Parts: sequence; structure tokens; C-alpha cells
Amino acid sequence: MILMDAFVQDLIHYSPQILAGLKNTLLLMAIMSVTGIAGGIGLFYLSLAQNRFLRRGTERFISFFIGTPLLVHLFLMYYGLPPLGIRLSAFAVAVIGFTINVSAYNARYLMTAYNGLDKTQIEAARAQGFRFFQIFRLIILPQALRLSVPSLTNQVIQNLKDTSVAFLIQYPDFFAQMQEIASTNFQFFKTYVAAGLVYLALVSVIVAAARRLERKVALPGLETLGRA
Amino acid sequence: MTFGNILIILAKGAGYTILVTLAGIGAGLAVGLLIAVLQTTKVKAVQLLLAAYTFVFRSIPLLVLLFIVFFGLPGMGIRIPPFLSMVLCLGLVSGAYLAEIFRGAMAAVSRDEITAAEAMGMKRVQIFFYIIWPQMFRMAVPGMVNEFTSVLKYTPFAYTVGIPEIMKEAMSLAALTLRGLEIYLAVGIIYYLIYKAFVLLFETLEKRFRIPGLAGE
Amino acid sequence: MALIDVQDLIKRFDGKEVLKGVTMSLSEGQSKVVMGASGCGKSTLLKCLNLLVSPTSGRIIFKGEDITRPDMDIHRLRQDIGFVFQHFALYTHLTVEENITLGLRKIKKMKTAAAREKAAFELERVGMIEHRNKYPAHLSGGQKQRAAIVRALAMDPAVLFLDEPTSALDPQMSREVVTVINKLYLDNITMLCVTHDPFLAKYISDSIVFMHEGVVVAEDVAERLFYEHEDPRVRQFYLSVIDHR
Repeated sequence: MILMDAFVQDLIHYSPQILAGLKNTLLLMAIMSVTGIAGGIGLFYLSLAQNRFLRRGTERFISFFIGTPLLVHLFLMYYGLPPLGIRLSAFAVAVIGFTINVSAYNARYLMTAYNGLDKTQIEAARAQGFRFFQIFRLIILPQALRLSVPSLTNQVIQNLKDTSVAFLIQYPDFFAQMQEIASTNFQFFKTYVAAGLVYLALVSVIVAAARRLERKVALPGLETLGRA
Repeated sequence: MTFGNILIILAKGAGYTILVTLAGIGAGLAVGLLIAVLQTTKVKAVQLLLAAYTFVFRSIPLLVLLFIVFFGLPGMGIRIPPFLSMVLCLGLVSGAYLAEIFRGAMAAVSRDEITAAEAMGMKRVQIFFYIIWPQMFRMAVPGMVNEFTSVLKYTPFAYTVGIPEIMKEAMSLAALTLRGLEIYLAVGIIYYLIYKAFVLLFETLEKRFRIPGLAGE
Repeated sequence: MALIDVQDLIKRFDGKEVLKGVTMSLSEGQSKVVMGASGCGKSTLLKCLNLLVSPTSGRIIFKGEDITRPDMDIHRLRQDIGFVFQHFALYTHLTVEENITLGLRKIKKMKTAAAREKAAFELERVGMIEHRNKYPAHLSGGQKQRAAIVRALAMDPAVLFLDEPTSALDPQMSREVVTVINKLYLDNITMLCVTHDPFLAKYISDSIVFMHEGVVVAEDVAERLFYEHEDPRVRQFYLSVIDHR
């Protein structure tokens, strides 16, 4: 019991750092979630291009970034570029690396949803005289996004968890801060468990928000593609 | 040191990567199946426990869990060696995801068929083995392949607990030669090849076991 | 001068010739139906006329323009042709009203209020006004097709193309839709309809163009085509689809 108090006191003592770390974590998560969706939509658009090389190239790009570990992408940029004279901050590497990674996954989810669409709608839109970009923006994308909501929101949860990886390239996120605290008070178990609990709490918030979004977005005839 | 030399050195680490992946998949399957089977009981307490388990292990970052197990537990007197720590964590997390996949696949098995089997007088265990499992397994394949490749992509974390897989070799090599770009590109390519090999393997297995008319969800 | 003039149209798909030299025409205010057995190329013909499918060779003159020329603005052409599909092809994520106003707003650049007014007016004409805020998933087949017809007509096209409009409908809904198209016929809307339904063909056509294996074999009014036509291919087709009692 006394240990518990000391531990809690410790946390309170370090709370400025912890909060700074949390801010960094949430900031990174928010940024990569937004850029990841934008990137995902962009890659999705390219995957539908007229040009066969563009389509194949996009598919290969997506496949490569889905098939290789996130850490490799980060290390590649963080340790691989400096010898070439390009020195990016941990934050920049994290944002770029995570964005590409998340974009690839999101694009894949959107492509899966696209395969489930009734393609005659696209033919009807062509027959009406819409240009492809309009068809993408007005018909394909709204439906693909709705169908992908569970996958896309799951990805946001994954994004939050993935931010902890940034600690390995010296990004001062929440987990990095907890690491430092643990190495000073030697309460490794308690500190890491406390960190874990914080992540759990944050995930709960995202899950609740995701459920509400799913309900809002469902339309008759376009029920979302199951829970991922 | 040529690029070829680099590849060879890294390939040694690949052996550990594959080992950790396979062990992780095995652990995950064990946990996942256990949970899926347990979920069929009607006991409320068990259901709650399982729900809590899947929530916790799908929400906690793997890295945090790994640190709790490998760096945290020793402080409580429990010392788990690196390889086991990694496999344990992979099993716990992957098992939680696989449990969800199996649950969905189990629910998709036609209720009518189960009723027909009950009407024939089959016992619960028999129904599970002969009716539910064959269908559920096949329907879970896409989800399983996804999860297994996830395990592969988590293996780089093993370097933090000292396992000499590809990442660890790469890092010492990079520190030595300062050719980080080539090295990590090579790492990426090797992982991608392993990934492709896994996917191919699973697709071949899936084709062998495919049943016409049983379109997976 | 004809609105549409098709000269020797040929379409080859992967080595297989589906249209083997089709010649036909359609004047303003006319309504023609294209009939024939499955695989005779009638749907392909229709889709060539609005360039959803690109012809292999031949000429198509639309409103005096050769639309098969390389620098043709496909989008402008299609905006002037209304197209109704066999399986309705309504936009699933939009209400009936939104389905109709989408083209009005984004292609004709109408203001939303004006577009909604026009949509309401057209929906009223086909008796669908009370369904304007429903999603396609909540409509019956007949309602969906009526909505699709309105979506095409609301753009005020020069001609309305219909590709097997009743083939996916049960008899009751089919009559619903035939009634609507018949009204359009009586209003002198220029129409070209592909179908294998003789009931529909009789009530909405000035003449029927009969196709067989990629060419036009006969063109005449329904009564003379359906019963005891001199061409054996025509006779055989109608013997199998019409109850000659």
C-alpha cells in the first residue's frame, strides 16, 4: 500500500512530462489518421485509373507497404537517410512513415469495398455524361467510404497503438515518457501497466466514437461491411 | 562489403524471424481457438471474462505488452526468457484477434445444419468436430491470413528483447557500415519476400481445402 | 433529317463480331423498338449509339454530327441522351430525389432549389412524388424503374434510350412501367428501346427494327412483324414469344 502511494506520487510528480508525452501521442495519432485517410483516398483513386501502369504500380506500392513492417519504414528513413545528408526529425519521420503505411491499408479497405459495389451505377453515371473524376467523387467514394467505416475506424485504433512504435526512433511520445520514468524509479511493472491502462482508456473512447459514426453513416441498402 | 554480403548477413536473421513468426502463429491459434470454444458456453461469467480479455489484448500496443512481460515481470520475480516473452505476447494479442475471427466464422455456420445434427442425436462435441469446425475453419481463412501476416510484421520488435532476428542484425550492420539506406531497403525486401511466401503458402493450403458452395464471408 | 443515322455499324469483341453492319435511323418524335433473340446484338447497338461501347467501324450521325470521329466530346454526347438500364442502376446512397437532381446540379449546373422543383415536377408525372425521399433499397422494382426513367428524362435529352426496361420485372410491375413509357410515347418523346417483350414493343413503338445475328433483317409495324411475316427468322422468333391463339 505504501509502495502504491509512492508510485502514484511519482506519477503526479512527473505529470508534466506524462502530459507532454500524451500530447505528442495524440497529435501524431490525429495527424496520421487524417493524412492516412487522404492518402488512402488518393491511392484508391489511382488504383482505378485508366492507365494500366498506374493501376499496377499503385497496387504494387500498396502491396509493398502492407507486406513490410512499419518499423522497417521508420528505420529506413531515420537511420538510412542521414548518411545521404537528409536528416529528418523523429516527428517528420514518424508522420511520413505512418502516413504512407496507413494510406496503404486504407486504400486496401476502400478497394475491398469498391469490389462490393453494384457496378451498374457506374455505367449509369457514365451514360449520364459524368466524367470519371465526378463519378469517383459523387458515386464511388461516398459509397466506398460508408462501407469501409468499420475497417477505417479500426485503423484509427491501430494508429493509436502504432504511435508507441515511434518511441523506437526517439520520438518523445507517451510511452517514451513512461519508459524514462520507469528507468528512474525502477517500478517497471507498475509503470508499464499504468501505460497500458492509459492506452486502454483511449481506445475505449475511440471505439465509442466509432460505433456512433457507424450508426450515423449506415444507409438502407448500404449496410457497412460487417465489423472488422 | 557488397550488397550481396549484406543480404547474406541479414538472411541469417531471417531464420529467427520465421521461427518467431511461426511460434507466434501457433500460440495465437492455440489461444484463439481456446477462446472461441469457451465462448460457446452459456456461463455469463465466462463470457464477461472473455470479452474483457479480447478487449484488453486488442487495445494494448504490442510493444507495451512486451515491455510489461520482459522488463516488468522480473521486478515481480517472474523472469521469462526473450524468445518465450515475444511468443507469449504475440500469442496473447494475436489470439484475441483470431478469437474474434473465429467467433464470426462460427456464427456464420448455418443454424439449420446444427439443428439437423442435434436431431440425429449427435453429441455437442461431435457436432463441433464434424459440422461446425470444418466450415468455420474455411470461412476464417481470409481473416487468419491477415492476422498471420500481422504477426510477421510484429517480429521486428523482437530486437528490443535481444532476439537476433533480421532487425537486430540490420542495426549492428548499419552502425558498422553507415550504409543504412541499403541495409534497411534490403531488410524491407527480405520481409516482403517472406510475406509473399507466407501468403502463397496459405493460398495453396486454402485451395486444397476449398469446398464449392462454401463461399467465405 | 434523321436525329440518329447509323451506317454500316460493325462491332467486334475479342475477335467475335457482334454487330455485322447495322444500318438504321431514328427521326425526332419517332419511337422505335429493337427486337431480336438473345445475342443478336441489340443491346450492343444501343450502347454504341451513346459510345458506352466504342464501334469497331461504321458511322453514327447524331444531330448532324459524326460521333464516331476521334475528337468527339463523349461526355457532351451522353449528356444529350437519356439511358434507362435493365437493372435500374439507381445510385444506392442517394434518395430518389437526389438521384434525379445529381445530374441537374452537377452537369446542367442548376441551382439546388430549381433542380428539386424540376425533379418534383417529373416525379409527379409518373406518380412517384410520394417516394421522393426514399432510398432505392426501399423501392419495388417498378418504382425503381420509374425513378430511373425520371432520372433520364429530367435532363431533357434529345432522345431516350431504354435497354430491356421491363426484363427484370415481374408482370405486375412490368405493366406499371409499360404504362409510363406508353405515356411518353403518346407525348412524342423520341425513344429507342431494346426489348424482347412484345407487349411493351406494341405499345411504345411506331415501328420495330428486327435484328438477327448482328444485322437488321426487317423493320415494320408490330402487327405486320408479329404475325406471319415473310422472313422465316422473324416468324420463328415471334412464334416463340407470342401466344398465337
